[in-house]
Amino acid sequence: MQSNMVLEAPLTINWAINNSCNFACRHCYSRGDTHEELPRDVLLACLEKVAKAGVFSVNFGGGEPLLHPGLLEIARHASGLGLRVSMNSNGWLMDREMAAALRDAGFTKVGISIDSHVHEVHDRFRGVAGSHGRAVAALGHLAEAGITTSISTVICRINHTAIDDLVAFARDQGVGQLNFHNFKCSGLGLSHKDELDLSPEEWKEFYRGALAAREREKGLDISLDDPIIALLGARDAGSLVKGSVCGKLSLNIKANGDMTPCGFIPVVIGNIVRDDLKQVWRDSAVLEKMRNKKPTGKCSGCSKYEDCLGGCSARALALTGDLNSPDPHCWA
Amino acid sequence: MQTIHRNPNVMWREETDALAQVQEALDRGDEVEETGTSVLFSGGTMISLNYLGTEIWKLCDGRTMDGIVAELLPQFEVDEAVLREDVQAFLDELAAKGFISYAE
Repeated sequence: MQSNMVLEAPLTINWAINNSCNFACRHCYSRGDTHEELPRDVLLACLEKVAKAGVFSVNFGGGEPLLHPGLLEIARHASGLGLRVSMNSNGWLMDREMAAALRDAGFTKVGISIDSHVHEVHDRFRGVAGSHGRAVAALGHLAEAGITTSISTVICRINHTAIDDLVAFARDQGVGQLNFHNFKCSGLGLSHKDELDLSPEEWKEFYRGALAAREREKGLDISLDDPIIALLGARDAGSLVKGSVCGKLSLNIKANGDMTPCGFIPVVIGNIVRDDLKQVWRDSAVLEKMRNKKPTGKCSGCSKYEDCLGGCSARALALTGDLNSPDPHCWA
Repeated sequence: MQTIHRNPNVMWREETDALAQVQEALDRGDEVEETGTSVLFSGGTMISLNYLGTEIWKLCDGRTMDGIVAELLPQFEVDEAVLREDVQAFLDELAAKGFISYAE
């Protein structure tokens, strides 16, 4: 079995098919994005380009994808092309009928955003009263429809000390996976950084606890998508690459077709309507830089650099202007 | 008779550029063991296989071990016993990861 190969196309596309949203999340990365969306026929044709390039899976996001009137048709088209289809949603618009329709359209997995086991904390963070209850109900509808569910939790000031409660809550909901997403300073996340972000020492403590929980909890997959966990001798299980997966395994497409290395890096490297996906993936100078990061500043001489590769490039870019800089969350 | 089957839930593809590079390297007589030519993904686990691994993987279509070895033997300059041992070890690793299954 080999490692660290450069792929000729991404394995996964994170595709924000719309930017409309019914929530007002404090950390939203896309609230400032264009509301321009691809016309139906163009979007379906772009999915064909993606499938032809050899991409395995498409994860729809937004915005809130359930607000897109063509979501079911888009998913049916994608799954008919052989793409594995999943989605992240706030769950507000999910009912029994919608869950069954998503299943019939080919969705195999849906992640629901829940940021706290405490109703009031989640509702305040997401900006909508009652959103916690609707998210929990969504998990039930999806499970009933036979769709694999996960909980996505953005770790920040409101929840970083509640690991055990979040794990117990996920178990109570019967999900197979709990995704602890690291807070990114993108969009509103950057505006609210001082209110929401943790100090490097607090990140260290959080990841110590989260890794212990991941080791301890059997039957619940606790996913930590932060390359900085290499500092604690860990990495996300099953990944082919070291450091961030963005631009190495996955790519982001925005509602207007613009391609970016990930949803949190606002650097456009092409457009899926106009450009050849494999060519952009191969030739983008930005992706090349992300795949071949060089240690700078405190990364120089760090014994963990080979595994961490400077941590999250999105955070480095947002706070220093250079995606090659050391991750500002680094505690080393 | 035991047969060997790819897990149908595994998503996989061959990397054509890498494959072309390996074929050029083979023509030059270079080592290609460390170069991945395919990528497999299932259940959150990704693996990459080298040229021989990929050829074995493609043959996991319900054949027997004897059938796989018989297909590979003319392609690789290797003693049959050595090849059989390598293939078995590789398949056992794939089976442990859930990428293939054995059936009677």
